[in-house]
Amino acid sequence: MIKDITIGQYYPGKSHLHRLDPRTKLSGTLVFIISVFLFSTIPGYLAATVFLGAMISLSRIPWKIILKSVKPVIVILLFTAFFNMIFTPGEVLWQIWVIKFTKEGIILAGRMAIRLIYLVIGSSLMTLTTTPNQLTDGLERSLRPLNKIHVPVHEISMMMSIALRFIPILMEEADKIMKAQIARGADFEKGNIIQKAKNMIPLLVPLFVSAFRRANDLALAMEARCYHGGEHRTQMKPLTYHSNDAIAYVILAVYLAVAVLFKVFGL
Amino acid sequence: MGIIKALKLGFDYFKYDDDGNASEPQRAVKDVDLDIEEGEFIAILGHNGSGKSTLAKHMNALLLPTEGTMWIDGRDTKEEKELWKLRQKAGMVFQNPDNQIIASVVEEDVGFGPENLGIPTEKIWKRVDESLRKTGMTAYRSHSPNRLSGGQKQRVAIAGVMAMRPRCIVLDEPTAMLDPVGRREVLEAALELNRQEGVTIILITHYMEEVIRADRVFVMDSGSVALSGTPREVFSQVERLKELRLDVPQATLLGYELRKAGLPVPKGILSREELVEVLKKCERRQRISVGPVPEEQNPFSRNEASPALSLSHVNYIYSAGTAFAVKALDDINIDIPDGQFIGMIGHTGSGKSTLIQHLNALIRPSSGTITYRGEDIWGEKYDRKALRSEIGLAFQYPEHQLFENDVLSDVCFGPMNQGLTREEAEAEAKKALHQVGVKEKRFLDSPFELSGGQKKRVAIAGVLAMNPRILILDEPTAGLDPHGRDEILDQIAELHRERGITVVLVSHSMEDIAKYAERLIVMNEGKVVYDDTPKKVFMHYKELEEMGLSAPQVTYILHDLKECGLDVDITAGTVEEAKRTILSCFAVSRENTPDTGGEVS
Repeated sequence: MIKDITIGQYYPGKSHLHRLDPRTKLSGTLVFIISVFLFSTIPGYLAATVFLGAMISLSRIPWKIILKSVKPVIVILLFTAFFNMIFTPGEVLWQIWVIKFTKEGIILAGRMAIRLIYLVIGSSLMTLTTTPNQLTDGLERSLRPLNKIHVPVHEISMMMSIALRFIPILMEEADKIMKAQIARGADFEKGNIIQKAKNMIPLLVPLFVSAFRRANDLALAMEARCYHGGEHRTQMKPLTYHSNDAIAYVILAVYLAVAVLFKVFGL
Repeated sequence: MGIIKALKLGFDYFKYDDDGNASEPQRAVKDVDLDIEEGEFIAILGHNGSGKSTLAKHMNALLLPTEGTMWIDGRDTKEEKELWKLRQKAGMVFQNPDNQIIASVVEEDVGFGPENLGIPTEKIWKRVDESLRKTGMTAYRSHSPNRLSGGQKQRVAIAGVMAMRPRCIVLDEPTAMLDPVGRREVLEAALELNRQEGVTIILITHYMEEVIRADRVFVMDSGSVALSGTPREVFSQVERLKELRLDVPQATLLGYELRKAGLPVPKGILSREELVEVLKKCERRQRISVGPVPEEQNPFSRNEASPALSLSHVNYIYSAGTAFAVKALDDINIDIPDGQFIGMIGHTGSGKSTLIQHLNALIRPSSGTITYRGEDIWGEKYDRKALRSEIGLAFQYPEHQLFENDVLSDVCFGPMNQGLTREEAEAEAKKALHQVGVKEKRFLDSPFELSGGQKKRVAIAGVLAMNPRILILDEPTAGLDPHGRDEILDQIAELHRERGITVVLVSHSMEDIAKYAERLIVMNEGKVVYDDTPKKVFMHYKELEEMGLSAPQVTYILHDLKECGLDVDITAGTVEEAKRTILSCFAVSRENTPDTGGEVS
């Protein structure tokens, strides 16, 4: 059922990683991404693997679910790996017709693949252990300084969390409208691109009408519940750092230092 | 002065055309006087477009009066600078459960109001815990609202309002989009708050059963209060309520009819218990005329030789192969012959929506076969698009599928997909629009500007214009007032009679099914539990209740009377039938005890 799709991919749990402040997790992800680009040797990748492995086991999320997050990028991965292999000039290992596989190409492809996979797993680990709302909260707090240059940070994060709530509802609605139009003989598959785009009108118009109606209703409901902007607003779940977060920052600092050292000494 | 008081309240709204010019002011509310005391339970009734929602929005300062004055807790809404301070005192719950929940976790949504009020964090938690407890939603606090039923979502919305510690809650048709179980849930929650916490409740609805327990009832018509009084006073004016496009609970209507026929039943009966009590005491020697007994309707003929549509051993599993797999349909065997009027009932999640989508090949069964006129509709070369014009399906809220610039073009969409030319399609469209009662002058209007009831008609016409031989309607009357409900159902019944269309009507209302359908299919947990004439199915009223369903109110009344020793026909399903059997019972009694001219003693 479409209702079951949660945006983001939060995996409920109570692990240490789940309980970290979202800001810590955002910084952690950033550090990890940087490190993956700093490392370029096998010992370096080993270090990254150990770190990532430790975090995954700390999160107590089944490996199957972690690996599932890589699935959507596999096509891109194979595609780029293939082109890296054949278009990188260097020592030709073997050749089929005009396609040459080079040693440098294979190394580059391997490196890119590792980086891409680690990037995806690393950021998935964050989204798996953090609810979309915590994530928006974390972003809101991290970006709060931008308020000074008149960026409406609170409003943007409010919009994000409302979008998160309504995407599944609108998806379900789209499915329903689509079925209703199919029942009236609509065909969403036949024809060329222009024809197809035209065929979407009976789906898109009602969907937009519905989205506007919902937006209108929601605005009224928010007003009725005394919403009047971000000023003087308190929070039910304000973000506060705990001792765990301090430990996490220390670990991150050490890990980052290791990555920088690897880079400096060219290991 | 009460918590909510209105004096000569009037409100105008303007329509704007494409260039932004305002139309003549339209009066939505006029000359309304109200004075609601703290702790009262008030019900406001009225047909669609009677101005009751507009009035409700004044009680929360979402709208400010054009004329007259509205006081919330003694403060004039027009004078107040910071309106949100008033809104805190009079919270509001809206009709659509999805469109008023802001957060993605239940407890966070309940906390939204207090957050806006600037309450310190620890106190927010206290209020959230308290509100969730009072509405019985504590167990769901960390759930996503998307996973809750409609009734639960509305309870979350009520909890969200309660967390602001209001003195008054205005509920604007909170049950219009819910099934009977959800309706009961929400009503109980509101009553509980009223009794336990002393919160003033203002309930706006067009379900008459919800009004019985109110302290006072106001009936709105074209912007002003047409009737007011205790439920008993209001419900004793059956004819007047009908004029106002409303109806009364079945027990009230039956009491009214019996009184008209000469039984000494007092005016304004409110509940089944009351009516049974009165009838028990009735002397069984009344001078009443039973009237001619209309000929018995033929029980439906199971034309098993050649059913038009036939399902055999159909199973359907949602998200098959994943951890979320749900068996939605479990070994369904149904034959639908031509010409039947079939009612289908089952609470939300019983599989009835999934089932009807199987009937016109929108969903492919996980296993089992579906045949239409002998052919397997999932056969390799089967033309399913052609099938869908033979079997029309109108979803719940069909008006949500309208998209064209004008009514006529929208209805033409289906016929043109069948390959008709525009002219031919228009002919079909006009025919269909006439059949559902849409007037010619509306044909070139934008479908989005029509009233709710008209939109539904246009959408149903859109399906009808394809000339289906079987018409499936999923709750075609959801959200309509009683009069609109009856009108649409009468038109469908007429189509069934005159065009011989087979109708499958999915409904939550046993009363409607009893009135129109000749066959009733009851779904529960993906299975067909009963498939028989409504009368026979209603005999199982106790089992129906276990499934969260119920038989029509008259069935209960008749069973109660039977238990008291009255010889009534307990299979009667409509008020008309119930009246006849009760009257005949009294008449028979009269014959048994010969009239001695009042000299019995």
